Amino acid sequence: MKHLISSQDMAQFTASGYLKYEDMVPKDLCKACLKEMENNKGYLAVGMPFEETWPKDTALGEAFRLPKVKGLIQSLVGPDPLYDHHAAHLVKAHTTRGPDMHQDSVIDFRQNYFDIQLSFFPVDTTDEMGGTFLVPGSHFRNVRTGEIRGYQHITGKVWATCPAGTIYVWNTRVWHGARSNYTDQDRYMYKLRLNPTKPQIRNFDTSDIDNPEIGRILSTHHGWEGHEHRYELMKRIELWRYVSDQPDYDVGERFLRRREYQPQRIMA
Amino acid sequence: MPKVQDILVLFQTSPALDVVPSAWARYEASKGTGIKDLIEERNPPYKNAMAAMRDGWQVIQMSEYHQRSEADGYELGPFPYQTVLSRFREMQTEEEDS
Ligand SMILES: [Fe+2]
Repeated sequence: MKHLISSQDMAQFTASGYLKYEDMVPKDLCKACLKEMENNKGYLAVGMPFEETWPKDTALGEAFRLPKVKGLIQSLVGPDPLYDHHAAHLVKAHTTRGPDMHQDSVIDFRQNYFDIQLSFFPVDTTDEMGGTFLVPGSHFRNVRTGEIRGYQHITGKVWATCPAGTIYVWNTRVWHGARSNYTDQDRYMYKLRLNPTKPQIRNFDTSDIDNPEIGRILSTHHGWEGHEHRYELMKRIELWRYVSDQPDYDVGERFLRRREYQPQRIMA
Repeated sequence: MPKVQDILVLFQTSPALDVVPSAWARYEASKGTGIKDLIEERNPPYKNAMAAMRDGWQVIQMSEYHQRSEADGYELGPFPYQTVLSRFREMQTEEEDS
């Protein structure tokens, strides 16, 4: 498959829980998609194969089947994903939003597993238009949906500002929310959630898997980790070991050894 | 107008009063009953709780340490500690919902 993401990008997805790709959907197709979004209806068949479920003769059908988008999807959830749900999120012109931090759906403890959400922005989205905010790296912190609304502000929060045709792809456990739209223009974001059907191992381009930069990417400080950074790092390393199929991978002081190195348990 | 209580919560990764907060929230009853438009803030309002205390905020709760076990000592969830600060301010008329 073409257009698979690099190992470095996969490491960044592991550490930060999201990736941003501009120029994914051409402008004309963006316009056609926007028209369809205005008439969005409810969910399709939840939990059914994406390829069978997703409409074929529509602009949105085409957008999520572009080779670049397919490569991105395959890199993260592998071949033959399932359609989970979709939605056209609208923040109307001149609509303000209060605190909205949440984790989607319900609490999700599945190990060595993640769903992805593709957030497609069909129009140029400026700072003032209130693009979705994300808390990079928060995807290892399980919470019950909207209970984190009380975290009004977090150091390191980012929000979508991008040209039309951009796709943000994120681990569905990333903390996020909507923002105020101060402009005269309605703000649309189209989201699609997908589930893997097979173990999410080495689905991305592994030609740069030994790049030493990967260790640095996995160690990223996003701003809010404080004294818990090394506990975050342990979670990231565990996920990286799994997706890269390197069960002994570790970095720096190798914190996972504090659990794993137990010679007293080895029987003669 | 009477003075009413404002609350500032600093969410932290240690219960100490001199650590940099990871997240923060304001409940300013002097201004109204909730935030209708959350203005983004990149940095915490104070570098730590002690800086807030020097600005007139009173600590009304600081966190206790947690006992850790092998089962949950590596687990992550909400921020583990918080400092709650209070200050009294003159009440303003709340803006009507439009
Ligand atoms: Fe959400």
